[in-house]
Amino acid sequence: MPRWGMVLDLKRCVGCNACAVACMQENSLPSGMMWTKTVSEEIGIYPNVTRAYIPMLCNHCENAPCERVCPTKATYITDDGLIMVDENKCIGCGACYTACPYKNRHLMEKKHLKKGHYGAELTPFETQGYPRFEVGTMVKCTFCHERIAEGLDPACVFTCPTEARVFGDLDDPESEVRRLIQSRKGYQPLAQHNTKSKVFYID
Amino acid sequence: MAEKNKAVVQNSVKPGKWVNSTCKMCLHSCNVRIHVGEDGTVNKVEGNSTSPSNFSGLCPKGNSSLQRLYDPNRIKTPLKRTNPRKGPKDDPGWVPISWDEALDIVATELKKTLEDDPRKLLPAINDFQKLYLWAWPAAFGGNANYFSVVGTFCGGGYHPMNGMVHSAFAGANDSDYCNYWINDGGGDGFSSHLHVAAAARYMANARVKRGMRVVTVEPRLSISAAKSEEWIPIRPATDKQFALGLCHVLVNENLYDEQSLKKDTNAVYLVGPDGYFVRSEDDKAYVWDPVDNVAKTWDDETIKDFAIEGVYEVEGVTAKPAFQLFKDILEDCTPEKMSEITTISADTIRRIAREFAEAASIGSTIRIEGRDLPLRPAAFNYYRGAQGHKTGSMTNHAYKLVNFLVGSIDAPGGHIGATLDDYWEDRGHIWEGKDGMILPTPHQLHPEVPFAYPPNTAHLMDYFPLGVDPGHLIADTFFNPEKYGYDFTPDTMLICHSNPLWHMNGDQEKLFEIMRRMRFIVGIDILINETNIWADIILPAHDNLERWNMTMIEPPNTEGPCLTQPVIEPMYDTKSEEDIFNEISERIGILDTWNQVLNFANHFADHKPELALEPGIKYSDKDIAERKGKLWNGKDLDWYMEHGHAVTKRRPEKFYRAWEGMRIHFYLEIVVEERDKLRKNMEEANVPFLNEWEWDDYQPLPLPVLDPVHKEPEEYDLYAISFKDVQLNFTENLSIPWIADIVHRDPVHMGVLLNPKTAAGRNIEDGDIIEITSPYGSVKGIAKVMEGVHTDCVAISNAVTRWTEDHPIVKAGGGNYNRLLPADLKNTDGCSGQMECTAKVKISKFISKIKDPDEANALLRRYAFPDSE
Repeated sequence: MPRWGMVLDLKRCVGCNACAVACMQENSLPSGMMWTKTVSEEIGIYPNVTRAYIPMLCNHCENAPCERVCPTKATYITDDGLIMVDENKCIGCGACYTACPYKNRHLMEKKHLKKGHYGAELTPFETQGYPRFEVGTMVKCTFCHERIAEGLDPACVFTCPTEARVFGDLDDPESEVRRLIQSRKGYQPLAQHNTKSKVFYID
Repeated sequence: MAEKNKAVVQNSVKPGKWVNSTCKMCLHSCNVRIHVGEDGTVNKVEGNSTSPSNFSGLCPKGNSSLQRLYDPNRIKTPLKRTNPRKGPKDDPGWVPISWDEALDIVATELKKTLEDDPRKLLPAINDFQKLYLWAWPAAFGGNANYFSVVGTFCGGGYHPMNGMVHSAFAGANDSDYCNYWINDGGGDGFSSHLHVAAAARYMANARVKRGMRVVTVEPRLSISAAKSEEWIPIRPATDKQFALGLCHVLVNENLYDEQSLKKDTNAVYLVGPDGYFVRSEDDKAYVWDPVDNVAKTWDDETIKDFAIEGVYEVEGVTAKPAFQLFKDILEDCTPEKMSEITTISADTIRRIAREFAEAASIGSTIRIEGRDLPLRPAAFNYYRGAQGHKTGSMTNHAYKLVNFLVGSIDAPGGHIGATLDDYWEDRGHIWEGKDGMILPTPHQLHPEVPFAYPPNTAHLMDYFPLGVDPGHLIADTFFNPEKYGYDFTPDTMLICHSNPLWHMNGDQEKLFEIMRRMRFIVGIDILINETNIWADIILPAHDNLERWNMTMIEPPNTEGPCLTQPVIEPMYDTKSEEDIFNEISERIGILDTWNQVLNFANHFADHKPELALEPGIKYSDKDIAERKGKLWNGKDLDWYMEHGHAVTKRRPEKFYRAWEGMRIHFYLEIVVEERDKLRKNMEEANVPFLNEWEWDDYQPLPLPVLDPVHKEPEEYDLYAISFKDVQLNFTENLSIPWIADIVHRDPVHMGVLLNPKTAAGRNIEDGDIIEITSPYGSVKGIAKVMEGVHTDCVAISNAVTRWTEDHPIVKAGGGNYNRLLPADLKNTDGCSGQMECTAKVKISKFISKIKDPDEANALLRRYAFPDSE
């Protein structure tokens, strides 16, 4: 059984947000909701200034606060390490959101689904995609669980123009993710929270 | 509910089919696969992993193309205007009409124009993936007008220079071997220009795997600047001086590739006092052999060495090798002098030049596919921001010369020509010219428009023998016909996939007035925009996901055509562009001429006559696509549908030094020739604006002259520039919700960027609405105070330049940046037609920060065009 993880290469990322749009496409996300995105921040004082581009998504933590606090056991960890939400059990209480130090979870509200990106009318794309969602439940990145089950990379990884995202088995010492974590000293986001994130960053 | 959990929820793995196609979310041609669900809905667009161009990668625009298909604001049927009053805010009162009625009206009106005077039509046809459509006006009585600056804005100076230096449309550094990449005002490999998704992967691999160093020179901390090892902020419109400063150091510290200059370029040809090469009686250019101490013709087999410096007497005149002339110019380009202009320190100019020369490893070679080639892994790349200035031709030439000096033009690791659309697999892009040199091909978009007085074109294209169509000059010529001697006044307009009122520089009110004075306007597009809203008839075109096409548009690393095929039946009552132009052509009696023009523009007739279109037949988009595929490699449409594309890496023999054995143009004698021909023509025709022509822009070597923008009155104490990033480049896609989602939450794209030091002295705080005024116009915008911008500069994103109220997603900014720019001869390169893209401005606080963003936006919308102020 693999233990899925991702490496985000900050040297490669150009902040284009192709990942964000690929995710919105793949998962039929409603307007304004992003399961992954890249943020940027200016660092320094002119002329010694630069800008950092930081991709973010659910870190699929091994020691996941969201899972720990869920009162209905809706949030669970699969055998291959994905953090998933069972919409039949989720009551949308938001405890997981409060517990998540990364805030990479979203409550699907009625307002999200009652209109499309262009206004009141849903487009055929939205009509075919929105029924996957249950109002009042938490939704989030699934590492594209259905794509990876078919041997494909997650949509954000597949589309990234600069190959700044690498997906693979953290238990496989030969995998690209392991190689990158070792050779380029991968680190976990907000490691002080001891979440054991399975998403690593490299500089 | 349990069943629902079992149902597939991710779009790309739902039951359905994948269709190969080509992205058209910018003008380039990334290869995609499009997923159509069992219910017939397009639900995922991805990169095509079989493509050596973009591989599986796709930029955010490409990722959002299905939203354009499903935009409910698309034009669904032909439309007719019922409100005769035309203005930027006037509701056209569209009513749907049938195709027959619409085409009959268009044909009747256009036929009037054709019979009256075809020069009265102003076309703006700008689908880059169907470049042959641009040639339709040629079938319309030889019309050569162009009411657009698509082409000029990105490359009035750029494209002809690439044609003269590389015999190509574009230029790019070779990411396969480059180790030191100077990026001046470009964005290649990070955010903009050629095939962003493809170039970004090549760039990232070069940086991460090979440790390539990138130095970015720009007034703004762009993505490229942020990712570079070094950002060098530069005062806008002084990049030419920076390049000449580099050249000064390279030449004066002997850091140049002397062997390459002697063997591969015309830098050794002797130039006489008239600027022409000194030629023998049998019309051969001379060089100086310093061993025999005598002038010899360039092809003399006894030449032992070439002088590149010195002064010589030849054929009774004093002559110098072209290199010596450049060295003379460079005397005035010391790093100290260039530093004063550019604000880049002299030490930095010296250091960059030395690092560049060292990285170029002059003298090294590499064996690629059996050829020993010079390896020059250092290259100077540049684009829009750096090239778009009044002295565009000289400016572009200066950048090329940095590469010439280290021998990196078309060398592995160097700066390489990228062709536009190759047409055929078995013929390269180099032709032999005079004196052992390649033939310069400055006209990359259409053949030269011959000189005429009175002018035959509304934008004076008859006066730019080396230029790209300066459509912005129509704002001047239209209102001053006597000055230019016009014997016609345009009264009809055809706009196809173009938005000239948005993209043209100059006084917006004048452009509006031109629109008002048109007797008839027809628009062909998929959405209503700022320009086609003035139309009398709108003809709706298919979306890219509903049409056929075959295209290849200036890929930097690859070659080969890419197929576009319909993935679903058209959603609305739309037609392909081919059907629309065929119907119009047939109705006005020019179908046979149109087919001839298509044969010419696509090289059907001259290259594979069996593919030539015949008279009397209306060829569909599918027919043209199939012929273009066959023209390339003989494969039929079934082959392309299966493979999606014929894209391969560019073959080394074509990519590297395709001109081997010939010399390339270090010195541009063609510029002197064309200047003199034009002047003679103008003198003989007694052209009244002869003395107003910007003759000084015609230089065979670049001079460190200042662009006129630097000489505006002192009260305009800042520079304004505009910029785009990958979400916005080469396209209009602010109407796409997914793009709006990512752009509208990025402060970089939501206002006017200014440095805290610039803001502090002017009592401006972040969030204030400020007024930016140039000598030519003014706009308003939200101040975004950031460190990442030069202290002499304000920077305005392209995301805040639109004003249409016809689309719910497009947010209006406080006016179009282009309003700040002049559109006159004085600020247009007399040689290339390039307009100035930088403005001198003053800024002031207009209203203190408005906390509610909706209120702020509503206010800014009021200032979207000048008469609303």
